This record gives sequence, C-alpha cells and structure tokens, in this order.
Amino acid sequence: MAFGINKKDGFEGGGLILFRNVEDAIKAERTLKSADYMVKLVAPPPELRKGCDLALEVNLVEQTGIERLFRGKDVQYVEIIPRKGRGELLEIVKVKDFGEAVMVKAGNMKLTFDKTSGVILNISGGGCPDIPYLHAELIDKKLTEAVRPKEKGFTLCSLMLDRAFCESLELWSKMRL
Amino acid sequence: MVLICGTIPQEDFPLTIGQVKFSGKTLIINEKEVSCMQGTAALISAACITAEYLGEEPPQALLAGDRGKGKGSRLLYEYLSKNLPDLAPNVLVLHYILPVMGLMRKVSESAEKCRRKPIMIADASSMYAAKAAGLAPNFDIFTPDPSEIAFLADSDATHPAYISRHLFNSDITKTSELAAKAYQDKNAARLLLVKGSVDHIVEEGKIIETISEPDIPELEAIGGTGDTITGMVAAFVSAGLDLREAAILAARANRMAGKYARATPATRIREIIARFPDVFRENLCAWSGVCYSSDKR
Repeated sequence: MAFGINKKDGFEGGGLILFRNVEDAIKAERTLKSADYMVKLVAPPPELRKGCDLALEVNLVEQTGIERLFRGKDVQYVEIIPRKGRGELLEIVKVKDFGEAVMVKAGNMKLTFDKTSGVILNISGGGCPDIPYLHAELIDKKLTEAVRPKEKGFTLCSLMLDRAFCESLELWSKMRL
Repeated sequence: MVLICGTIPQEDFPLTIGQVKFSGKTLIINEKEVSCMQGTAALISAACITAEYLGEEPPQALLAGDRGKGKGSRLLYEYLSKNLPDLAPNVLVLHYILPVMGLMRKVSESAEKCRRKPIMIADASSMYAAKAAGLAPNFDIFTPDPSEIAFLADSDATHPAYISRHLFNSDITKTSELAAKAYQDKNAARLLLVKGSVDHIVEEGKIIETISEPDIPELEAIGGTGDTITGMVAAFVSAGLDLREAAILAARANRMAGKYARATPATRIREIIARFPDVFRENLCAWSGVCYSSDKR
C-alpha cells in the first residue's frame, strides 16, 4: 500500500522536504503551518538524509506553492522529493504541430499557441484545482506577456504547465528569427 | 441521481450543493452562476445536456471555490465524508479536487456506508488521489489520458509529474500494456476509458473496444474535452446504460461534436458542448440501438 506509514494519523502526503539542519526544518514547519499547509515532522530514510535528521512530510502535489512560499519567506531547504519512486520531476516535453498552431506537452499538461502571433490558444490536460484559474488567466495572451504558471499556481499540474509554457516560449522565439 | 463534486476557480465561491441548470453559457446552482469553462464546469455542462436529452433529471453538483490552495477541496472532502450516506446518489463523480490521500480514503469509506454504494467515477486530480491512496479498485470508472494511463501503470508515482520517463514516452499503441500493468498492481478502476488519438475502453485489464472515428486531432488541444467525456459517461450511466456502453457512447459523441464544431486548436469547450444536442439527435439512436424520448418528439 502506497504511503501507508502515516495512515494512523490520517495524513499521507507522499512528499518529503529535506534540510541541511534542524533550524531550517523547524522554520519551514512553522512557515507552512502558518500558511495552512498540512505538514508533519518525520525522520527521513537514511539513504535520503542530507545532513539533517528531520524532514517534513508534505502533500507532494502542493510542491509549487510550497516552493514559492519558501522563496518569499527565505526558508532554506535542500529539495522536495516523492517518498517513493523517481525523485526527479519529468523533464521531457513533446511537441505536436497543427500547422498554424503548436501544442507542447509536459507531463499531464498541454499548452497550444498560434505560430504567427504567439498567442496562447488553449490549455488542456491536468486536473488540479489551479488549472481552470490558470486557463482563464493565460488564454488569449501572448506568450511574451503572460505570467509564468508557476508564479500563480500551487500544484504539480501548474509546474508541468510551466514546463510547457517555457518550452513554448523558446519555440516561439526561434520561430521569430 | 448523479452527484458531481469539484472545485470552481473563485476563492469566494462558498460550499454549494444543489440541482444544476445549464443555460448554454453558464451553469446556475442555488442562484449562483458558474461560467462554462474547462474543468468541473465543463463536466457538469456535458452531464446536463446529456441528461436533458435522455429525459432524466439534471445532475446535482457539490462545488466549492478553490484556486489550488486546497481550502475549498477540504470542504468538499469533509462534506462528502459526513453526508454521502444521506445524499445517496446512484452515481458519484469526483473531479477537480486537490488530491489528499487520507481525505479521499474517508470519502471512500463514507461511500461504502451508503445503503446502496454509488457507481464511483473519478477523473483528473480525484483519480490521482484514488490511485495514490490505493483506492482504485473501489472505483467503477477512471477516464485517464495517455499521460495518466502511464501514471496508473507506475505504481510508485503519486502524480503524473513524477512518472518514469519510459512510461511517459509510451505512445498510444502501448495502452494495452500500460492498462494491464495498472490492473495487475490494483491501480485501475473496474473500467478505464483511455482518451487519446484512439480511445480505448478497458475492462478488467482487457481492451474491449477502441474508437478512432471521426479522427479530430485538434480535440486534444482543447481544454475541457476530457471533462465533457466524463460528464456524458456519468449521465449515461445514471440513465441506466451499462458502464461499457456509456463509455463507448461518450467517446463517440465527443469526437462527433468536435467534427460538428469544426474544431481547431483555438476552439473553446463551450463550442464543443453546444454541438452535443445535434450529435445525440442525429446519432445516438443508431449508435446505441436505444432511442430515447427526444428521438420520438
């Protein structure tokens, strides 16, 4: 059973935040709790320790919002990783050419833009609660003028959308040359 | 009764439950308006149109505002955990809700307490939560896209952002293997509707139907085209169709609506939804062999 170790207290986050020292871990816990994130101090598995005997278990899907919060509050941490499986975010992107438009896929998210104008035509895939909001924020805006999804979103879906957005921006820049 | 649960991207939208009316552009629930856009709103819109065509009562919706921070999602989990046995829906759809494994487990336990357990459908982030919490076999239908069937096949992954690279690279021709792996590891619902360039209906690990016509590649780019499939499936199942037929009809109708709308990558989901009545009127009777009240008018 995945993430069964925390079943008793009802919190199963699936993600770990690793730290270099205890002070950073305590500050991070306080910061997350004050922002209403579910969080729990845990001992990291020995193979994952980065110098500190404490880690925080968090809801992995909330990684994007947590990282932005830590940047804003100057919280130091090593990395956020899944408790199980691959420790790395999916980097690979796929591109589909519709003729007048291009669709870029990153993980479960897809962004489509107009080749001539660079305007974002559509966003599809995913399913986290921040995606409909980002959809409304980004559609009909030029790639060069739109806000980056990871600056407005909170979830891993928005992080994947950010990957697709950055790749789209790069493709669009090359098309203009 | 179909109960559709999900979030609306307005932080100030309160927890709301009630029967939904669809005006063509907006949804109205307890006198509150919700725009027909990608996400749970698109799912509900498709379910409303389908139910109306079939002569069924409109779906009930349980909604809360949430832009990703999770506050509205937690309200939904709590409400369902407490009230599901009294609500007693015959079909329960869980959709855009922040995945929280422990809370999803409570909802699943609450569903088991219903006098008659509802037909359980999960899509989007609710499917992620159900799979990650080890609850997939408790569900009747999942509606993954190609990246999500790869996620279901990766037993360690809690989100599609962390699936193995080789699984993400799998194309639609690998659906059979990915689905078999998902079933083997108990990470699949009883029936999977895998949405893609070819739609696959998978039951207990075996592909029982594929749908590839009409071929409208642009549908993949349009936000909400997966949501509409799930909404139609829910309405068909609630009307009494079996899971398999409901999934096949929904996949076919979605493609045909794309054709009728002359879909382009810039098409909006409301333009696709607007075509469903014509699609049903002109095709459903022939496709299903069952002609509904609207056909007779």
